[in-house]
Amino acid sequence: MGSVIDYIPGTSLLHKLNPVTKLALAAAIILATFLGDTYALLIALLALTFALGAYAKASAGLLTLAKLMVPLSVIMLVLQTVFIRTGDVLFAWVTVDGVVTGTKAALRLLGVALPLILMLTVTKLNDLANAVVEVLHVPYRYAFTFTTALRFVPVFSQEMNAIMEAQTARGVEYDTKNPIKKIQLMLPLCIPLLVSSVGKTDATALAAEQRGFYLRTRESSYKRYPMAAGDYAVLACCVALIVLGVLF
Amino acid sequence: MSNSSNSQPIVELRDVSFAYGQDAARALDHVSLAVNEGEFVGIIGPSGAGKSTLAAVMSGAIPHHYTGQLFGATYVDGQDTCEVTLTDISRVVGSVLQDIDSQMVASVVEDEMLFGLENYGVPHDQIEERMNRALETVGISHLRDREIAKLSGGQKQKVAIAAILALAPRVLVLDEPTAALDPASSTLVFETLRQVNELAHITVVVIEQKVALLCKYCERVLVLSEGKLAFDGEPHEVFGHARELRAMGVDTPRVARIANSLLEHGVVEKIERPCLNVSEAKELISGLVGYAGANEGAAAPGERAGQPASALIPDAVKPTRPSRHKPAARPHAEGAEPVVEVDDVSFAYPNRGDSVSDLNMRVYPGELVGIIGQNGAGKTTFTKLLNGLFQPKTGTIRIAGLNTREVPTSTIAAHCATLFQNPDRQICKDTVLEEVAFGLTLHGTPQDEAERRAADVIARFDLPAGESPFSLSRGQRQMVALASVVVLNPEVVLLDEPTSGLDYRECMTVMETVREMAERGCAVIMVCHDMEVVSDFAERIVVMTKGRIAARDEADAVFANDELMAAAYVEPPQVIALSKELAAEVSPEFAGISQVSGIVDLVEEMVNRG
Repeated sequence: MGSVIDYIPGTSLLHKLNPVTKLALAAAIILATFLGDTYALLIALLALTFALGAYAKASAGLLTLAKLMVPLSVIMLVLQTVFIRTGDVLFAWVTVDGVVTGTKAALRLLGVALPLILMLTVTKLNDLANAVVEVLHVPYRYAFTFTTALRFVPVFSQEMNAIMEAQTARGVEYDTKNPIKKIQLMLPLCIPLLVSSVGKTDATALAAEQRGFYLRTRESSYKRYPMAAGDYAVLACCVALIVLGVLF
Repeated sequence: MSNSSNSQPIVELRDVSFAYGQDAARALDHVSLAVNEGEFVGIIGPSGAGKSTLAAVMSGAIPHHYTGQLFGATYVDGQDTCEVTLTDISRVVGSVLQDIDSQMVASVVEDEMLFGLENYGVPHDQIEERMNRALETVGISHLRDREIAKLSGGQKQKVAIAAILALAPRVLVLDEPTAALDPASSTLVFETLRQVNELAHITVVVIEQKVALLCKYCERVLVLSEGKLAFDGEPHEVFGHARELRAMGVDTPRVARIANSLLEHGVVEKIERPCLNVSEAKELISGLVGYAGANEGAAAPGERAGQPASALIPDAVKPTRPSRHKPAARPHAEGAEPVVEVDDVSFAYPNRGDSVSDLNMRVYPGELVGIIGQNGAGKTTFTKLLNGLFQPKTGTIRIAGLNTREVPTSTIAAHCATLFQNPDRQICKDTVLEEVAFGLTLHGTPQDEAERRAADVIARFDLPAGESPFSLSRGQRQMVALASVVVLNPEVVLLDEPTSGLDYRECMTVMETVREMAERGCAVIMVCHDMEVVSDFAERIVVMTKGRIAARDEADAVFANDELMAAAYVEPPQVIALSKELAAEVSPEFAGISQVSGIVDLVEEMVNRG
C-alpha cells in the first residue's frame, strides 16, 4: 500500500545528500516561507519545492499531497476574507486586503507542508535517525521514537481503512456522500484503532529491546553519515534562502 | 557441541507459575520442563492455554516486559532470568513475535538486519558477512534491498527470522509464525527452521496450531492445557493420546484418528505407533487389508504392490458407493434462482499490478462454496467484490438481486453478511449485547426487538452478554463477530478465513454454526486455507490461481486432481491423499473417500469380509 511518505528510491544528488542537510533544506524553505511576504517569493519557494521533487523523480507523492492540501488552502482563503474586512470592497463581503492576506496564507500552508514531505520521500527513515544521532548528537531513543511514529502512519491508515471496510460491510454508511456524516461515523472507530495501536507499539518496544536497543550508542551505526562538500554547499544555500525570506 | 550443552539444558523452567495481575487466573500453572541444546520443539494447545505466556517466559519478556505474579525459576543457559537483563537474555534466546509487522523496526530489509547487529556491537568488519550468512540460510538474499511493507507475509516472516539469526542466538523462540500464511508458505517457513536447526545448530522452540507441520518437523511436542503441561514427548507418543487431546480442544492429524478409530472398533488390537502421515497410515491399512486378502488365499502382503488389487474384489461390491463416505449433499431447492451471480468480472488495484479477471460464479441458496488458492491469488479481492467494497471494472455482480455497482455496500450488508479474518476490526461497541444487536439496528430493526434477538443468539453461543467484547479471548471475539452475523439471518454469508487463530474446538463450533446457516437456506461462500475444514464442510470448491478461477468442481474431485493442487500450491487433505494412494495400490474401493469414518468403515468391512 502506498502512502505519501513512502521512500522513493533514486540516485539523484538530492538522494545522496546527508539526511541532516535535507532536513536543513526543508527547514530553510519553511522558514523562508514564514518570513517572506511577497507573492514572488512565496511562489518561487513553492516552485523550488516542486522543481526539486521533479529532479528527484519524487513528484508523485508531492502532487497527491498537494491535491489534499488545496481544499484546505481554499478554506483558509475564505476564512481570511471573512475575518479581514479592511480595504476596498471587491464583491459581497470580500475586500482587497482580505484576498491578499488570504491567498498568502493559502500559499504558506502549501509551502510549509510540501518541503517536509519531499524530504521524507527521498530519505530512508533509518538513515534519517542514524544521521541525526551522528551529526546532531540527538539521543538515539528520541530519533527512534520519531521515525517509528512516522513509520506507523501508513500502518495505522491501513488499519483504519480495514476497520472502515469491515464496518461498511456490516452496514455502517461509510459509503455516504456526505462528508460530515462520514466524520461523525468515524469517531466511534477510534476505540478499535486505539486498542490495536497500543498493542502494536508495546510489541515493537519489546522487539526492539530484545534486539539490544538499550546497548545502542552513537558509534553503533554500520553506515556512516559524514558531511561532504556538497552538503556544505547546500547549507550555504539554506542560509541564502532564509536571508531572502527576511528581505522580501 | 560444547561441553556445557551436554551437562545442562539451554532453557529450563522449574515449577513456573505466572498470572498477569493480582486477581487474574494463572496463565501458567506449575510448569517444569527442560529444553536441551539442538532440539526442535513444538508447542501446541487450545487458545488460552498459556502458549504465548510460556514463550514469553522462555525469552525473558516475563518478568522483564510483562508484569504480574511470577513463581518458580527459569534458567537460560544456566542463569536465572530474574537476575539478568532482558538484553542479556536476548543474546542467548532470540524471539519472533506473533504480530510480525510490529516486530519490524525498519522500512528496508537491510536496515532491519543491521539494527540488532549494530546494537550488540558486532565489529563493523564482520557485519557484512554475518548479514549475508543469515540471509542465505533463510534463502532471502535477493530481498536485501526491498521495502518490508511490500513483501508477502511469508517473506516478512523469513526477514524476521533472518534478523534474529544474524545475532547468532543459541535458541530461537517463535510464536505462531505461520498463523497468517497459506499452506505452501507455512511449509517453507518450517523448512527454513529445519535448516536453522540442522545447519546452524540452533535450538528451535515453536508454537504452532497446524498439527501436520508439528508432526513432520518437530522431534518433540509439548501440549499445554489450562496453563499446565499436559503431554511432553515424541510426536507419535503425544498424538497417540487422541481422545484426551480432542477433549482439550487440540487437533490431531486425520490419519492418527483413522488409526485410533480402527483400534476402538477392534479392527486392530494394538498400535505400536499411531500414524502421523499418509505413508504411515497406508502402511498400516495395506497391512491389515493385505492380510485380509491373504486369508482369501490371494495376495500376500509382500506381493500387493505389483498386483492390481482390483482383481481380488468380487464384482458385486465393485461399483463405488459415492454418497456413503461423503458429507450428505444438502437438498437444494430445484429450479431455485441463484442468490449470487457473478458474470465476467474483472478488477485491478489502481496503483498495483495485481488484478483479478474472468470471474464467473453462481451460488444457490443453501450451498456452501469454498474458495481456495495461494496467498495473493485474489481470494480476498473476490470477497470484497462480492460485498461491494470494490466495484468491478467490467462485468456485473448481483447479490440477492442487487447490483453491487448500483447499490452501496452498507445497503447490500442487509442481505450479505461478512465475517472477516480479524474480528477486532468489526467490533466497536461497549458490550457483547450491543455489539450483536448493532447490525440489526443498522438495518432498521427497532432497538428492543434487536436486543431481544441478539440476546437469543448470545445465549445460544454461551457468550457473556454484559462484558466488553475487547476483554474476551481471541476465539471468543471471533464468536461475537460470528454471532452478529448469525443474528442478521442474511441470504448470503461471506467468510474470509473464519478459522484462523482459533483452536480446534472453536474452529468446529464456528463451522458447525455456518453449516446450520446453510441448512436453513443461506448461501455461504468461504475463503479458507485449512484444507481439512474445506473438505469437511464445503461441497463445491472454486480454485483460484493468479487472479483467475482455475477450476471449480465438487470438493472431492478438486482434491483428487494432483495437477490442479500443485498449480494452486495446495496440499490435499490427508484423508483424500490417503484414499487416493490406497485406491491405486491396495483396492479401488478406497477411491473417493474423503472422511475418516469412510476409511474406517471400509477397512473394517474388508477385514471382516476376509
